[in-house]
Order: sequence, then structure tokens, then C-alpha cells
Amino acid sequence: MASILIVEDEVAINELVKRNLQLVGHQCNSVFDGNAAVQEIQCRSYDLIILDIMLPGLDGFEVIEQANKTPTIFLSAKNSMPDRIKGFSMGADDYLTKPFEMLELLARVEAVLRRTQRTASCFEAGNVKIDFSSHQVFHNGQSVECTPKEYELLEVLVNNRNIALSRERLLELVWGYDFEGDTRTVDVHIQKLRKKLEWEDRIKTVYKLGYRLEVSR
Amino acid sequence: MKQRTFLTTLALFLLFFNLGIFIVSVAMFKDTVKRAEDRSLGEHYFIASALIKDIKAVESRGTKIDGSLSSLLQPYSYLSGDNKVGLAFYKNNQLIYSSKDTDVQRSNFLIPPSNGNRLVTIRKVDKKTYVIVSGKLPSPYASYTLVYQYDTTEAINSWSDLKNLLFIAGFVLSVLLALGLLLVLNRIFRPLKQITQTSKDIANGAYETRLSISGHDELTEMSHSFNYMAEEIQRHMTELKDAADKKQQFVDNFAHELRTPLTAIYGYAEYMQKAVLSEDDRLSALNYIMSESRRLQTVAYQLLELANLQNNQITFEELKVSGLFEAVRQTLYGKLSGKDVQIEFHSQIETIRGDFCLMESMLINLLDNAIRACSKGGHIIVNAAKEAGRKTISVRDNGKGMTPEVLAQITEPFYRGEKSRNRSDGGAGLGLSLCKQITSSHNAELSFSSRPGEGTTAKITFTTQ
Repeated sequence: MASILIVEDEVAINELVKRNLQLVGHQCNSVFDGNAAVQEIQCRSYDLIILDIMLPGLDGFEVIEQANKTPTIFLSAKNSMPDRIKGFSMGADDYLTKPFEMLELLARVEAVLRRTQRTASCFEAGNVKIDFSSHQVFHNGQSVECTPKEYELLEVLVNNRNIALSRERLLELVWGYDFEGDTRTVDVHIQKLRKKLEWEDRIKTVYKLGYRLEVSR
Repeated sequence: MKQRTFLTTLALFLLFFNLGIFIVSVAMFKDTVKRAEDRSLGEHYFIASALIKDIKAVESRGTKIDGSLSSLLQPYSYLSGDNKVGLAFYKNNQLIYSSKDTDVQRSNFLIPPSNGNRLVTIRKVDKKTYVIVSGKLPSPYASYTLVYQYDTTEAINSWSDLKNLLFIAGFVLSVLLALGLLLVLNRIFRPLKQITQTSKDIANGAYETRLSISGHDELTEMSHSFNYMAEEIQRHMTELKDAADKKQQFVDNFAHELRTPLTAIYGYAEYMQKAVLSEDDRLSALNYIMSESRRLQTVAYQLLELANLQNNQITFEELKVSGLFEAVRQTLYGKLSGKDVQIEFHSQIETIRGDFCLMESMLINLLDNAIRACSKGGHIIVNAAKEAGRKTISVRDNGKGMTPEVLAQITEPFYRGEKSRNRSDGGAGLGLSLCKQITSSHNAELSFSSRPGEGTTAKITFTTQ
């Protein structure tokens, strides 16, 4: 899907971000210092850069100056207001502070990609195809009728594929914070999706947690 | 203050100046009047004595004097050519002759005192001032009274003009004085105004503002002390700011030091919970979690040790330097196996006083840094010796060295030479803080000297024993 450059000198965190982005199908490349990042940006074009600020060699602010307007998310331990403001004023599309949650990072990546129009407008898995631009779902080439909530649930599952989402999180993401129904609503909609798309074995129930859409990477 | 000084000075001046003018005027007035009186008395006497001679002469001729008095007095009326003098002659209070201004004479007739003295008065009639002298002729002509009237208006007027002139001049002078005073006061108070302005500026945060200094008076001296005060304030402020910056730096670094492992630990745990993992993925995620936890543990341990050292007294005992070196060598043995670095221990002193564990941990820390600074073929010399009567232990390496800026900060907690705080060649940045704390609790000094590319020397100088 999108090709993403991860610039982060802490190996553990670099690896963590990379793994999570790869789960939902992005292509990732890791570099560990500012100079390597600038070289990489000049050699290849990326859809998104995830950039730490405190880096060996050039720091994040110096790297973003060379980034040729590639969409950038700052990922930093610096969470003071002046740092954030500096980050945004230098052209960052988002600013995320450590410690962060995986789902939040993915949601922000998704949001930036959608905004910068580089996200794929289609998703295909097996005999199911989803056209995000026209909000249409096809099964074996046949259009499948979905209610708006079913479609939104499907989109959330696809955007966080290979990651288990709790029922509470799904409620929050699809129905919103102030929805008053219970988690059974989620189960009902999941059942309907499974049936309509014949996805009984793709949408896995994760014991004591929730659901996960599993798609081969 | 300025206004008050101005008003007081001006008021005092006006008071004394006008009082002076007043006194002068009064004195001049008295003088004028006295002169007129003297002159009038003189004339009166002259006329009276001349008249008596005339009367006696007339009487010796056997003529009655009453009829010829007018002709006798006539010549005296012309005594003064400017019509300033008037004469009147009375017999038993009956006017028998008057040279002019009869009405005036009559209304101003005064009964002279009976004892024969003369009476002098000053009368003001129709804007004219007269000196009137009335006196009886000596006996046997005591029934006759001669009144001499002298018009002294001119003298009085000239006095009045002079007096007015004096007061006008006084007014003009006062105005001039007020202006001059204002000018002088402004000049005197200008430094005070400057001081006020400068203090305001300093209070508003412009600590670098100073007074300009010129001259050699008390104000200059005050300006000097003021500037000194400003300098001290600025210095204190800088110190406070530095301390605050250091604290902020510490907090920032501390936060970073905690956040990074926490992010990794939480992230990998979440990853393990929510993603489908292969056995390899699972193991590597667990590895990360464990190593990051260990890192947190190290930071926590070192911080605790630092806090303990600051609070607790250490126990001093006699330590054999050779034993200390041996213990350090054994601990470092494992670390050195992979690296091509040589360590030499030299000892020219037998013992030092201190805590064995702390000393060992400090030497290991210093040697750790030295080993990290060295590339292949590094050479480290640990030397215990006496220098200028004091026992010292130095650790010298021939590694990459440091710039003076880095050198100045290396003992700050969490300080790292590399601004990205990368861990690849360092711990949390607490090692040298610990060393510094250990030396200071041993009443010793820890100093560093270094040149980029030529290596670093760390030296502990014991001030006691």
C-alpha cells in the first residue's frame, strides 16, 4: 500500500513502528540517523515519513527541511508546546508524542494518507473488493448491500487489519463515544458482515478481546 | 522633591528679597520725610527770627505792627521761587496773613504747644503732601503764631516712584530667579531622574541597563554603587536562570529516559496481544520488552544510588590500592574480552581511605567510559600516585576525547555528549554523576582534562589524609 520511511534512532521503537505498519499492509523502510534519512528521501519517493526529532547527525527539524513536502508525522519524546508548534510550523502533518498507542499511530497514519490522497482507493482480499472512493463493496464481482454502520465497521477492520480490536474500541471507532448500545451491537454487525462477505474465517474472534480481520501480508 | 526644593527656595527668596525692598523703602521714606522736616524747621526758625527783628524795627519807629504785618511777611513768601512754600500768620488764632491757599491753611491750622515749642506735622491734602511747622513767636509776641508750610509732594512722589521701581525690579528678578532655579534644579536632579529610569528598566527585566558615569561627585559614587548593584542582580539572575535551565534539562532528559523504554515495552506488549505472531516475532518482541525493562531498572537503580549517596554518610576505612585495582580488573575482564583495549594499573601509594564498594564502582564507571571512548588498539593507564602531597588516582585513555563544551557538562545527571541521546555507546548518562557524588562524599575532587582526538584523563584528588 503506502510506502513509509521510519526515521528513529532507538532500534526497539523503530522496529515496533515498522512491524505495526507492516501489519496493516504498508511498505516500510527503517533508517536510524538524520543523514541516512536525507539520503533515503533523495533516492526514493515516500508517501509518508515518520520522523523522530532527537536524532544523531541531523535532527528531525533539519531532516524535514530536506523532505520536499513529503507528508511527515513527528514522533517524539518532546511534548512541550514550543516543540509541537515548531514541528507543525515546519510543515509536519501530525505530531505524536511517546509513549503512544499502536492504534493511535495507525489512525493518524491513515488520516494523513487519506488527507494527502496517497492511500489506495481500493482494497482486495480473496473474492472481496472494497472501493473506498464510492463506498461500494463487491463479493465475487457482485455488489453487496451494506448499511452505513456495516460499511464503517468494515472500513475500520480493513484499516486495522491483522490487529485485534476490542469490542469497546470498535464501538468507539464506529458508533462514537456517546453511543448508548452495548457490545452486543458489535457482535451482531460482525455476524452480518461475516455472512454477507463469506468472511467467517477471515474475521477472527480473539478470545477475551474482540475481533481481528486477518489478511495475508 | 524637585518641586518642593524649587518652591521652598523660591518662597524663601521672595520673602527675604521683598522684605529687603520693604525695609529699604521705609528707610528712604523716613529719610525723605526727615529731610523735609529739617528743612522746614530751619526755614521756620529763620523766618521767625527775621520777622522778630523786623517787628522790633517797626515798633522802634513807633508804628503799630498789626497793620504792617502783611507787608513785613510778603518778602518771605517769595523765599522759594517754586511756590512750594506757603506762610500764614495768626494772632490769637485769627488769621491775619496767608501767602496762598488760604483754605488749606485754615483747615490745617494747628495750635502750637503752649510751652513755646514748635509743632511739625505732615498732612496730605488733595494728593499733595505738606510739611507744616507751626510755632509761636517768642515773647513778647507770643500771641502771634507763624505757620510754615512746605510742599514736599515731589520728594514723596520720587520716593514712591523709586519704591515702585524697586518692587517691579524685584518682580522681574524673581521671575528670572525662578527660571534660573528651575534650570539649576533640573541639572542637579537629572542624574536622579536617570537613576529612576534605569531602576524602572531593570525592574522591567532589562538587567543589562547601566548608568552612564561622568564627573567626580557624590552622585558619581552613587552611580558606581548602583551599577555594581545592577551587575550583581544580573549575575544572580543568570545564575538562577542557569540553575532553572539545568533543572529543566534534567527533567527533560529524565522524561526521555523513561519514555523511550516505556513506549517500547507497552508497544511490544500491545503488539503481542493484538497481532497474529509467528514464534520468531513473539520471541523478538519479548526480547525487546526484557531489554527495555532492564534499562528502566538500571536507571532506577542508579538514581536510587545517587539519592542514597547524597543522603548517607559513608564509612571510611583503610583500603589497599592493589586490592582495589585487582577487584576492578576482575570485573572488567568480561567487558574487555571482545575489545582490543589494554589496561595498565600502576600504584605508587599503599593505601587510601574510603569505602571499598563505592571506590570500586567509581573506578569501573570511569574505566567503562574510557573503554567506550577507545577504538581498536586503545590504551588505558590507571595510576595511583602522590601529587603535591595529595593522593590521586587518574584514569588516562587515548580515545576520541571531548570538546570543552561537552567536558563542562559531563557530570550533569542524564547528560550525553550525543544530543540524540542514542544509547548505542552509553548508558542513561548517570555514571559520571555518580562518580562525582562518590568523590564529593569522599571529600575528594573529580577533574577531567581532554582534547578531541587525543584522549581524556579523569583524576580524583583526595583532599583528606
